[in-house]
Amino acid sequence: MAELIKVIINGQDFQVEKGARLIDACRENGYSIASFCYYADLALQASCRMCLVRIEKMPKLQTSCTITCTDGMVVTTESEEIEKARRGMVEFLLANHPLDCPVCDRGGECELQEMVFDWGDLEERFTERKNYAPEKFLSPVVANDSQRCILCKRCTRVCDEWMGEDAIEAGGRGAHTVIGTYGGWLNCSQCGNCIEVCPTGTLLDATYRHQTRPWELSRTTSTCSFCSDGCQLSVGSRRGEVMRVVARDRYVNGHNGEFLCIKGRFAHPFVNHEERLRTPLVRYKKGGRLVPTTWEEAVRFAAQKLQEVKDAHGGSAIGVVGSPRLTNESNWALLRFARDVLGTDKYTASEAFSLAPFFENLSAPLATHKDIRHAKTIVLIGGEPEELQPLTGKQVRQAVRNGGAKLVIFNSVPIRLKEQAAQFVHIRPGSEDAVVLALASPGDAEVAASKLGVEADEIGKASQIISETAGDVVLMFGGELSAEAQSVVAQLPAAFGEKEGRRFLLHPLPLFNNSVGVHDLGLMNGALNPLEILDAAGSEVRALYVAGGFLPAHLEGREGALSRLDFLAVQELFLTETAEAADVIFPAASFAETDGTFTNSDGLVQRVRQSIPPVHQSKPDWAITSQLASALGTDLGFQMSSSNIFLDIAHGVPAYEGLRYPLLKDESKPVQVKHALAGRRDVTAQLAELRRALESLDENAEKITETPPVGHELFKLGVLTSKVPQFHLLAAGNPEPESVLVSPLYQITLDPGLRREAAAGD
Amino acid sequence: MSQQFTPNNPLPQEAKVPPKMAVFPPEVEAEIERHLAKYPVKRSAILPLMFIVQRERGGYLDPPGVAYLADRLGVRITDIWEVATFYSMINTEPVGRYHFQICRTLSCKILGAGKITEQCTKRLGIKPGETNDDGTFSLSEVECLGSCGTAPMMQIGFDYYENLTTEKVDELIEKCKSGELSNGVR
Ligand code: SF4
Ligand code: FES
Ligand code: FES
Repeated sequence: MAELIKVIINGQDFQVEKGARLIDACRENGYSIASFCYYADLALQASCRMCLVRIEKMPKLQTSCTITCTDGMVVTTESEEIEKARRGMVEFLLANHPLDCPVCDRGGECELQEMVFDWGDLEERFTERKNYAPEKFLSPVVANDSQRCILCKRCTRVCDEWMGEDAIEAGGRGAHTVIGTYGGWLNCSQCGNCIEVCPTGTLLDATYRHQTRPWELSRTTSTCSFCSDGCQLSVGSRRGEVMRVVARDRYVNGHNGEFLCIKGRFAHPFVNHEERLRTPLVRYKKGGRLVPTTWEEAVRFAAQKLQEVKDAHGGSAIGVVGSPRLTNESNWALLRFARDVLGTDKYTASEAFSLAPFFENLSAPLATHKDIRHAKTIVLIGGEPEELQPLTGKQVRQAVRNGGAKLVIFNSVPIRLKEQAAQFVHIRPGSEDAVVLALASPGDAEVAASKLGVEADEIGKASQIISETAGDVVLMFGGELSAEAQSVVAQLPAAFGEKEGRRFLLHPLPLFNNSVGVHDLGLMNGALNPLEILDAAGSEVRALYVAGGFLPAHLEGREGALSRLDFLAVQELFLTETAEAADVIFPAASFAETDGTFTNSDGLVQRVRQSIPPVHQSKPDWAITSQLASALGTDLGFQMSSSNIFLDIAHGVPAYEGLRYPLLKDESKPVQVKHALAGRRDVTAQLAELRRALESLDENAEKITETPPVGHELFKLGVLTSKVPQFHLLAAGNPEPESVLVSPLYQITLDPGLRREAAAGD
Repeated sequence: MSQQFTPNNPLPQEAKVPPKMAVFPPEVEAEIERHLAKYPVKRSAILPLMFIVQRERGGYLDPPGVAYLADRLGVRITDIWEVATFYSMINTEPVGRYHFQICRTLSCKILGAGKITEQCTKRLGIKPGETNDDGTFSLSEVECLGSCGTAPMMQIGFDYYENLTTEKVDELIEKCKSGELSNGVR
């Protein structure tokens, strides 16, 4: 407990924590203070002067956002003098403002608008000509109307401090200062956080521009369906269409605040994309065509076919494949289907890598993103969070920049986070396992270092940083680690032992929104993994029931596998590679159309809420599965309600025991599942295996010296992101359009000649 | 509108070409080193370096010059842009050989800066913010140059010309045209 001091606000005594910021102290105790530029956890700006208060014994009014409370401070937050000052400030802020709220996308949810309601006067005394600048595009996703700017510089601070990009800044001076970028075209990761934090209509979502007014949207709080960070977001929809996605209000959102990345914020148009599957499709004869049909017929046909295979070869000849993209509920329904309906042990999820060895040996709790922000030491082995788990990337960066944490990176690629690293150990490609070995067993450090291609003492230095930490140590690792290395990482806390004041936390970096969920449910513990299932297709596995489709990486080199099956049923959003090979396709509902939960990389179970009715004839995955189960004669007992399934999960999965939807209601208090801790395990076998693997490492392998360009993962065209035109522009190198006064998309679509030319980058 | 961007018809993948960086002769590099050595933090040398790069790159910070500065100072190009656009002495667009920078702040304004600007415009055929066709002259209005006691005044390059009158302006322009006057770039 921090030391308490006394502060007198408006004549009343309050106990506040020593070191508290005055503006926070006032607000927490019920006195509202106007502010624009103050933003918790960002560098102080003190440029808007809305937060003025009177502090006894200080000359003039003071900006409460920059004052640290001291013992006995006497503060007045409301008086005629303060009101006059605030009204004066608002008048200044509006001096150059175009007052065009009726045509502004922010109108209705604009902080400036609200502030003017509170502190503005009806009459303008400035009669001079206002600065004029046309509205323009700063990138395919960011639109900019510089006249509305009040120069609070929230945008430039999040760009720098959160994203480490420093892509936008304030240029010019005085009344002519504008927010912009060198050359006028943004080449950044396009996170759109500058749009989110802007209190005015200056920076706008270019994809949502002039589409609708904020008050016409129904807003649904949900969880992002892309990476394992699991950001909370608010889906704005109108008449069954998702119009935009924004982050949750920073005051209520305990997880990601107002942060989102490009995928979370701008990739939502896949939901209402015209290529979404519309009806169930059936291929009656191998080699025949897929024909649209009714749900009854498709389910009947699928059930009949599955029954035939089951009768001929037994239930275990049928494989069931879930997906780390789907909700826990949908995956649980699949698991129940595999076990209770088919009686097969050949179930899995189309996951890039399994975390089973990690969780089996888990010797410390999982780090939440909040823990990461306040950690004292962060060790990152492999991975590239700034591209693959952007919120994690941001938390790490802030931990270092705003929290003074020490970051140790072991990576074969000089990733961008390296800028924040206290120690960057540049290893050879493919040698991540050796790092784990060296950290766990100092005796091997020297040999490992030579294989890694680093100075012998680098490992020792890193170990020392970890040993000396007072506070939290977060160990993070990417998908590069082998099963053995995962086990050893999970046991590293035990290897370092107990120390007063130091706490170890672990943080895996899986790739998908529900990677941890599919693991928790036990879907990854089936007899075969996705690759083995594909390899067994046509022999041991005669039929497959797949929800969500295999990853391209699974199918690569196994092109014929799916066609060797007697029967393939797929439920999907789009006609993917997996779906194309199917005999029955069920159109599934996307995350915006279903209720459920995702479990993120922190082990937080977070709600996914239905924001629009399922598009066309699609249905939630779990509903399809239980319908199919009924057709096969088993009632899974879900009674068409995802909360019943969650109840079933809570009964069946120990880590989820006692959880219910109502307990997950409040996103300011995210709920972490209780993963069992393994205590100290004997990992000598795994270490021996790592040692063996170490020997075969190539000591002369070339190192990768280029930092990959921003967006090399983020802008990749996947099944979902390829449905969004803006991603195509970005993937093509973000060519600057001829004129930034018109949408780049519009220009490039209109003129195919220009498109080729611009994309060629000349 | 979205049809053209189907996965079957994607835009070609193009690696982004990093902006070319300016290269300077050894004596200029040495000069830059001297400035950098003065500061504990490299980026503090941003202004002196900008003046050098501007001088070497033909009077303004061209993209290769900006790329060089960002790299040399370990900051982003946007940081360079932010500082460069703040100061009227740093040019982000090409300027003429003689850059007339007329003070328009209070003292000068009261004592006739407006007339001086007008005269320049009349004689040179360019308005403030413009450069004439053959690239000899640029005209700008700038804020107080700290020489209020001798207002109205202007700066050509780094050289001050004070207590201006329209006749004096004519004379200066003639001298520039004949190449007699230094352009004040150092
Ligand atoms: S663009 Fe918005 S966030 Fe940025 S300084 Fe202007 S008002 Fe503030
Ligand atoms: S909030 Fe304090 S000056 Fe802007
Ligand atoms: S007002 Fe012109 S030099 Fe000061």
